[in-house]
Parts: sequence; structure tokens; C-alpha cells
Amino acid sequence: MEQEFRTRYPGYNVLDKWSSPDWDDQTREVVRKRLEEVPEIRFFTDAEARTLAAVAEQIVPQPDRDKSAKIPIVPWIDEKLYEDSRDGYRYEELPPQREAWRLGLAGIDEAARALFDGKPFVELDPLSQNVVLRHVERGSPPGASWEKLPAARFFKSVLSITIVKIYYAHPLAWNEIGYNGSSSPRGHVRKWEGGVDPWEAQDGG
Amino acid sequence: MSEANKDRTLSAPGIHGEYVPMRDLAREEVDFCIVGAGAGGGVLGAKLAEAGFSVVIFDAGPHWSPVKDFVSDEMASRKLFWTDERITGGDDPVELGSNNSGQGVGGSTVHYSMIAMRAHPEDFRRLSLEGEVAGADMRDWPLTFDELEPYYEEVEEALQIAGPTHYPWGKQRRRYPQREHELNASANMLVRGCTRLGIPVAPAPIATLSAPHKDRPPCVYRGFCNYGCTTNAKSSILVTYIPRAIAAGAEVRPNAMVAQIEHNDRGRVTGILYFRKRSRELFRQRAKTVVVAGYAVETPRLLLNSASSLFPDGLANSSGMVGRCFMVHSGHQVFAKFPRRINQYKAPPPGGALTEHFNRTMPEAGFICGYTIEVVGPHPVDFASRIATARGLWGADLRRAMLNYNYYSGVGIVGEILPQKKNIVKLHESERDQYGLPVPHIVFGYHENDRRIIEHSVAKMKEILEAAGGEDLWSADRTAHLLGTCRMGSDSSDSVVNADCRAHGVPNLFICDGSVFPTSTAVNPSLTIQAVAARTADRIVDLVSRTELRV
Repeated sequence: MEQEFRTRYPGYNVLDKWSSPDWDDQTREVVRKRLEEVPEIRFFTDAEARTLAAVAEQIVPQPDRDKSAKIPIVPWIDEKLYEDSRDGYRYEELPPQREAWRLGLAGIDEAARALFDGKPFVELDPLSQNVVLRHVERGSPPGASWEKLPAARFFKSVLSITIVKIYYAHPLAWNEIGYNGSSSPRGHVRKWEGGVDPWEAQDGG
Repeated sequence: MSEANKDRTLSAPGIHGEYVPMRDLAREEVDFCIVGAGAGGGVLGAKLAEAGFSVVIFDAGPHWSPVKDFVSDEMASRKLFWTDERITGGDDPVELGSNNSGQGVGGSTVHYSMIAMRAHPEDFRRLSLEGEVAGADMRDWPLTFDELEPYYEEVEEALQIAGPTHYPWGKQRRRYPQREHELNASANMLVRGCTRLGIPVAPAPIATLSAPHKDRPPCVYRGFCNYGCTTNAKSSILVTYIPRAIAAGAEVRPNAMVAQIEHNDRGRVTGILYFRKRSRELFRQRAKTVVVAGYAVETPRLLLNSASSLFPDGLANSSGMVGRCFMVHSGHQVFAKFPRRINQYKAPPPGGALTEHFNRTMPEAGFICGYTIEVVGPHPVDFASRIATARGLWGADLRRAMLNYNYYSGVGIVGEILPQKKNIVKLHESERDQYGLPVPHIVFGYHENDRRIIEHSVAKMKEILEAAGGEDLWSADRTAHLLGTCRMGSDSSDSVVNADCRAHGVPNLFICDGSVFPTSTAVNPSLTIQAVAARTADRIVDLVSRTELRV
């Protein structure tokens, strides 16, 4: 499984540059908080949080990391909803975000039970969980909640996109894709095709 | 957030992290109250203050100090965007809240891509040139290119645009104030592909310094242009016109959400009511003249929220055109994988290239107006959400695709959108924001001509990236910029403001931002917004001197 996500940049760790001219104080502060101050669950119920964690593992699977080493996803969605910080737009067919997430998670469980002999989503094997989410993605999952929430729109514009953004905002994700991360005050010199500054991720490590 | 923003004080954050003294005009009736400190409001405010008027410039967001408040991190930079709730719908609902909406002093110019293009002489007379188009509601501008040309020059000089020695499209111009930036890898892909296909291409003119200017250094190519420039190389309104405005005696009042424009029983505006962001208390600022410069969603929203018994359909809305003909630009993008490292994160515009070869009516392709192709360079959060949405990728497929992030290069368009009356910004029937104000409800759908432009451009971008050696091509739907909703025109039954941006029927109300555009043009709009603002300032000075405007 680890082979599946083999990085082009083995050994690259963006945090090695923490004290270099690439990181200014304010960037260190926001990334430190992201790493060290993962918020407690305050909005979701325990059951909702467990369902969402399983969903997140489907959207951005992390089988290559131990449970404690995974990029946290659910706490940040929970914080966003607890604080009710908005995105700047909402599709007119969707209810306000708190309601949308609650309905969506309930609906995923309803779909799981309808499709797999009454089992909740978290008790399904990964392949069956994938089947449930494909139903949601296509817009026709079974379940009463989906009568109030357009499934395909919720999946594409709320559920998956929010999870994906949180994953790729984490230094571990930056390491695997070779992202340079912070660059202030020092910028870049070698901007040309194939050009790599000595402080950027090097192919092959 | 900067300490100075907590309450109104007599100082404002300077661009180097210091504090600069500022006048306090809170208790006075001022000559001009400007709502919005972005591309329109910033330029106008600075010039009016320099002309000796008392000016207060409001913004709903904070007054940033670039070197202290901006971070090299996508997620943490969401604070630069307008993230209050807006409802979006129609056949092609527009996504808001990021690239097209700023909040804070400097407005969207804090995170814009700095591509500083002039519109073309033809852009101001589209109706005359193309004739009526079914389903569209085109109008000529009440301004000509020639009238605006000196103001393009003025703004280009103020922002020290860095551009090519020879710019091949539009009316011939003199040299840009600064030399062009060295091309980056993504620009090389566009140049190589275009050259192989015989399509003319040029370095993009960019509002970022390529050489030192006054107390600002040249660009060091951090690549975080869309998340705020920490070095002040970027010529945003925040580091150019706002310091000028403050130095000339204007007050900039951040964290102030304007709720309503007040007027007297003779239909003349008398000032505004605004909320302080922290306390949510309502304050009044009296003014002899009010300028609305909140961009094409907040501007019509404020006018509609200012409805009264005298103006039941909203202020300055006797034509019924406030909120109508809402436009964006189609901003579709194509990405391709290349054999060598591109490193898109250092690809944003300084060092970008573009082609206006297709910015023209192309009867053979079945569309009028056209589009520009430019280089793009999203950071991982942005790129991942784009590839996930565009290709329907999630799960292991997404993580695998993202491993090639550094090998992708992308281009995108600024595609002209025809104005349609049915595309509209209105007040939502029931939803209210944190201040209790009705939220905007935006309805948008493409015109057939818009779709033909999109289709043509996506095919053309794929051709170009393939010619450059790219493979694994995919395209992403996207829009950019917010325009229209308070268009300028000479017919008061059909437009909201005149060529001077002065509201029809409300003589001491002006509108000065992208909402006055009658047509969208196929170039990035910031320079035109700024040029129109610079002209409006001169016109106001002229009107006052001839006592046609009383302050």
C-alpha cells in the first residue's frame, strides 16, 4: 500500500526549513498551530465524528500512516462548523453549512444501512464504504436525508472539497508532493523549466 | 490582526510594519465618504484627498500591514477573502469567496494576479461594432478609449507596471515604466506552444516591481502573490494609493461594514450608517458626497439595502438596472503534465506570459469579443481542489495524481461574458448576515456566445500545451472577476451612472468600481477600474470647480 503513494522526493521534509530564510514568524505561527493545536470536537456528535473520519479516509486515504500519524481532518471541519465560518458562497439548493453537514452525514449512514443490510457506514469494509460514497457522488443514494440535501452537489462542492483542502494544507502532504511551502522573505531564483533551487525538494531525495 | 485595528486610532499600519499618523474625521461632515478601499475606492480616495477634500475611506475588513499580517500559507490566507455568506444560483452558479472577492484595505488587489492590461478601443463600442445580439444586452460605454488613455498611462506610472518593450495588441503604447520580468517555467510552456503553432505571445504586463521603486524593492518571486505580498513588490492599492491617501489627509476606517446610505427628503444622500465589526454597533458618518466602491456584488447590495419610501426599489435604481447585467469572466483552465519540473508554486504572474491573439470577434468560430490566454500557477490546496473537481478524483487516485504536482503547468483564460439582464445580484428573501442585513443572491447563466468562447478556448489551450510537449491534459471550469450591476451609460432609463460614475437622479452619489462596466472586455479589469477611478477624480474636481457638485 505504501508503494502506491511513493513520493518523487524521499527524505524531503518541508519543516527542515523552519529556521531558514523561507519561513517568517507569522507563517511559523500558523503552521505551528496546525501541527500542535488540533482542536477538540465541539460541533459533531461522537457518532458523526466517527462517520466523518471514515468518509475522510475514503476521500483521502492514509493507509501508509499509523492512526496517530495521519493528517487530522475531522477536527478542522468541526472547528469550521463550531465557529460557523463560511466560505463566501453557498449554492442556493443547499441549506446553511451546519445543517448540510449534519444531513449529509446522516444520509451517508442511511445509504449505508439501505445498501448493506442495516450496517452503519463505520462498520462497512472499505470497499463497501466506497460503494456508498459513489452513490452519493452520483446523486442517487437511498435515505430520507437526501430528500432535503442534493447529494451530488453536497459531495462535490462541500464534502470532498473540504476534506481535500484540509489534507493538502498539511506539511506531510507538502512533503509527498514536493511543495516548497513557505517562501518569505526568501523567494526563488531558478524559475526556468527544470530549475530547482537548492532549498527546494530534490527529485530522488 | 494589527493592533491599530482594534479601535479607531489616529494611526494606520504602514507598509513596512510601522504605524503612520492619520487624521480622525469621525465627528465631521466630510466632503467624501468612500465605501470600499479597493481598486476603485483607493485610487479615487487618494486623488480626492490630494485635491484637498476631506475624505474617509471605509472597508469592511482589516487594514493589513503586509510584512506582519500576510503569511506564506494558503489556508491561513483565507482571511483576505470575502467569506460572508452569499447565495449563488442560476444555470451556471458562480463560486465566490476566493479569487474574485477581497475584504480588507486594498480590496481584491491584495490578492489579485496583477495582470495590468488595457481594454481596446473596440471594447468601448461593442454594440456599435457587433450590433444587437439576441439574448444579450450590450451597450457602448459612454466613454471612449481616447478619453481613458491618459488615465491608463497615469495609473501604469503610479503602479510602475513591468511589461514588454513591445506589446503586440491594442493601440500602440509607449514603453512600460519598468522592464518585463524574466519568464518562468509555465510561461515558457505557453510561449513554446504558441510559437510552434504560430500564435503571437508576449510577456504579461504586471503590477509588480521588476526594479526598486521609492521605498519598495523588486519582486523576489515568492509565488504567493494571490495570498498577499510580504515584500511590498506587488503594486496593490494597499501599498500604493492608500499611503498616498493617508499622507494627503484622508482617513481610512477599516473593519467597518457599511449597512445603509442615508438621504434627505430632497433625495440627496447625507452620509452612511456602518457597523464596527467587533462591537456590531451602528455608527453614522455624515458626508456631502458618497461614493460606493464595493465591487459588483456589495455595491448593488448596499444600494438595494438603502431602499426607502423615496427610493422604494433601492437607491439610484429608477432604471431598475441596479444589480442587473452581472458579469464575470470565464476563467477556464487547462493543465498538462510535462517531463521536467515546472514547480507551479513559483509560476504566478511575475514572469508570466499571455496571448491576446483570440481577443477578437471570430466569425469562423462563431463568437464575438473573444478571450485572452494567461499562465496560472496554483498552490497545492487550490490545485488539489481543482484536479479533484475537474476530474472527479478522490481516494487513492487523487493522492497519486497529486504526486505529480510539480510537473504540471497550467494556462487559463479571461473570456468575455456578454451582459444579460437576467443575470442579477439581488437581496435574498430570507437569509440575513451577522449584522442582520439581507445577504446577496446571485443568479448567473452563460450566454450562447460565452459558451462558444469557452469551448474554443479550452480546445485551443489544449492544442497549445500539447504543442509544448504536455500530456495528460485536463480542463477545469472556473470564473474570475465580478463586473456589471451598476452600468454606466448616457441614457438614465437604461443605466445607473453616467460617464463620470455619477448616479442618475442622485447627484451627490457616485459609484466607482467594476460594477460600472457596461461590457466585460476580455482582459483583466483592475487597470480599467483604476483608470476610470482616476478619471472620475479629475471629473469631480472639475465639477466642483464649476459648482456643478457642491461640497
